[in-house]
Amino acid sequence: MAGVSTKEIKTRIRSMEATRQITKAMEMVAASKLRRAQEQVLASRPYFETLYEAIHDIVDCNSDFSSGYLVNRPGNKALYVVIAGDRGLAGGYNSNVLKLVMSQGNNEELSVLPIGKKAMEFFQFRGVSILETGYCSAADISMGDCFTIAKKLCKQFTNGVYDKIYIAYTNFVSVLSQTPTILQLLPLLRQETGREGMSNSDVFYEPDSAEVFEKIVPEYLGGILYGALCESRASEHGARRTAMDSATQNADEMIDKLSLEFNRARQAAITQEITEIVAGS
Amino acid sequence: MTAFALKIVTPDGVKFDGMAQELVVRTTTGDTGILAGHINYVAPLGMGMATVVVDGVRQYAACIGGMVSVVNGAVTLLPTTFEWKDKIDVDRAELSKQRAEAVLADKATADTDILLAQARLKRALVRISVAARKP
Repeated sequence: MAGVSTKEIKTRIRSMEATRQITKAMEMVAASKLRRAQEQVLASRPYFETLYEAIHDIVDCNSDFSSGYLVNRPGNKALYVVIAGDRGLAGGYNSNVLKLVMSQGNNEELSVLPIGKKAMEFFQFRGVSILETGYCSAADISMGDCFTIAKKLCKQFTNGVYDKIYIAYTNFVSVLSQTPTILQLLPLLRQETGREGMSNSDVFYEPDSAEVFEKIVPEYLGGILYGALCESRASEHGARRTAMDSATQNADEMIDKLSLEFNRARQAAITQEITEIVAGS
Repeated sequence: MTAFALKIVTPDGVKFDGMAQELVVRTTTGDTGILAGHINYVAPLGMGMATVVVDGVRQYAACIGGMVSVVNGAVTLLPTTFEWKDKIDVDRAELSKQRAEAVLADKATADTDILLAQARLKRALVRISVAARKP
């Protein structure tokens, strides 16, 4: 008789089928959530991009450094806002972005503001100092929360608690491809590309440039945070859908293989029985 | 009248992208009108009504928070929320106004809640007043 008993194979097929049902269901849920998240990303992306461009246009042509947000301080206390998911089973989605953060900051004093339960657990386990644990559920953070966080970050930055603030999120390239990304939020970076024709003298700030930055930077951070959150959410669902799709396929393959084995074993048992009967008579 | 390129983008999507003749927005220092050929300009937005003139037609909207910038003649309006007059949910604004007023009337409210309620009340009032405006 072929190694394993038919009963044992049957149990394995059953458990495989149960697993397959779960992964299939998770895939469908992720697919429907993905559609909504994707719409949100497509709607918010122009804002994200225009905001980024507008701020950098302003920063590039500001030369008087009157705002603290533009000053590159020598300190090395860095804060990472890390956006990950609340749940696992999403392929490499969580680990990719977390690993990227850990690979950064070798000579920086690292602190994190985790968004998403997985991010929080990861950094708690590694004993990284955590700014706040209030935003551990990435799914229910609203736009209002983003602006609250942004205001808090700006305050911490101007008070000198942190010298650099980064955001780590997952960029939603397509349903099949998501790339973890780190973006520097503060201080605002100047691109030394020598843009044509604009110097500080011909930009009119109302009431004045320091005040404008004071007001706009928190808004900018809030907007970027919200955009990154949308991207990350869509990425999470995309990654989960892909992971669950391949899990379902693997389960299918396994079931096929086990069924074949089961049929073989059954046939072998029958053949053996016949042989025994024939031999006995 | 000469037109200029205007882009209005919010987190909910692009609200306007095209040529406009005039833009009036409420900045933190008061209403500001922008015509074609404006100097490079940056200002944070307050809460108030925005007026956009496209092909001679005046359109009104509730415009709250964010910033407006003019860079080399192109105007970018980046509000936190921007609702055209006919898209404003008056019932919701009315409800939000009542809730905010209830919070403010309660003497036991904490200071942070008062600030939040005041902001909510202001937003609701802007929406209601824009929606109630006669064309």
